[in-house]
Order: sequence, then C-alpha cells, then structure tokens
Amino acid sequence: MGREATALNAWLAAATAVLAGLVPCGAVALRGSRLDALVALELATTLVTLALVLLAQGFARPAYYSVALALAGLGFVGNLVFVRFLERGE
Amino acid sequence: MSTVDVAVDTLLALGVLGEAVCCVGLLAAREAIDRVHYAGAAATVPSFLIAAAVVVKEALTQPAVDALVVAALVLVLGSVVGHATARLIAREVWEL
Repeated sequence: MGREATALNAWLAAATAVLAGLVPCGAVALRGSRLDALVALELATTLVTLALVLLAQGFARPAYYSVALALAGLGFVGNLVFVRFLERGE
Repeated sequence: MSTVDVAVDTLLALGVLGEAVCCVGLLAAREAIDRVHYAGAAATVPSFLIAAAVVVKEALTQPAVDALVVAALVLVLGSVVGHATARLIAREVWEL
C-alpha cells in the first residue's frame, strides 16, 4: 500500500462521514423503544455496508469488497432474526 | 482536477448527503413507523450514488461490479427488512 493510497482521499473522507451517521443511530437505539432500536439497527447496517465499500475503494483494495458483500447478506439475516424475535415477544 | 474527479466527488457528496439526511430524519422522527421510512430511504438512492461514483472512477471493472452488487443487495434486502419491520410495528403499535 503506497503513500498515496494511505493518504486521506475523497473515499476515506466519505467513509468517515457515513460512519458518523452511526451516532444518531446509537442515540435512537439507546433512548427509544425496542422498535425504534430495531429501525436504528437497520439504518446502521446500511451505513456500515456502504462505509465498507468506500473504505475498500479508499484503500485501493478490491478484495475488501468481499466484506461489504458479506455484510449486505448477513446483516439482512440478522435484522430479520430480530424482527422474528420481537414478533414472538421474546 | 479532471472531469472524472469532479463527477466522482459530486456523486460521493450527494450520496453522503443523502445518508446524512436519513440519519437526521431518524433522529427527528417521533414514531417508529416514521423512522422506517428514513431507514428505507437510506438503502435506495444514496447507496446507488456511491456505487455510481465507483463505476465512474473504475469503469466496468470488478470493483465497480462489486459496488453495484452491494448497492442492489442493500436495496432489495433492505426493502424486505423494512417491510417486515413495518408489519411488526403495525401489529404492535396499531394492533392490526
């Protein structure tokens, strides 16, 4: 990884800005009801997935896209599991 | 700064701005069902703007295809989860 790749570029700045969006999600999850927390988790999953895309591009490592792809699928499963648990009232 | 760089920066800024609007909306909304709309919106246009920035930068190479696949997955799967969540809220809050 060269010096140019590690320097702050537009992709890494965008990733930082997207990850800053986790703060409102955390605030809602902590202060709201369990349904509010579930919705905040959904938005946080989307934000982290997109941040991983931006980080892969920012670090010029195409292999890192696999992490974003995995999170896009596994985050969906995880959120659905929470929805099912809340439906059962557990 | 080339035209490609300007296009990439513009698409990135619009994508990040869209996500920021959704985060502020999540924080400002009062009801859980209102928050679902902001969470769903974050998975639609902003994710494709970010994927479009990768496509403009890389052309149709493997990273660009990966970014498009991620955006499509986030759109489709996020819509399914959003629908399931909205149905759960309708049952619990409105007792439908």
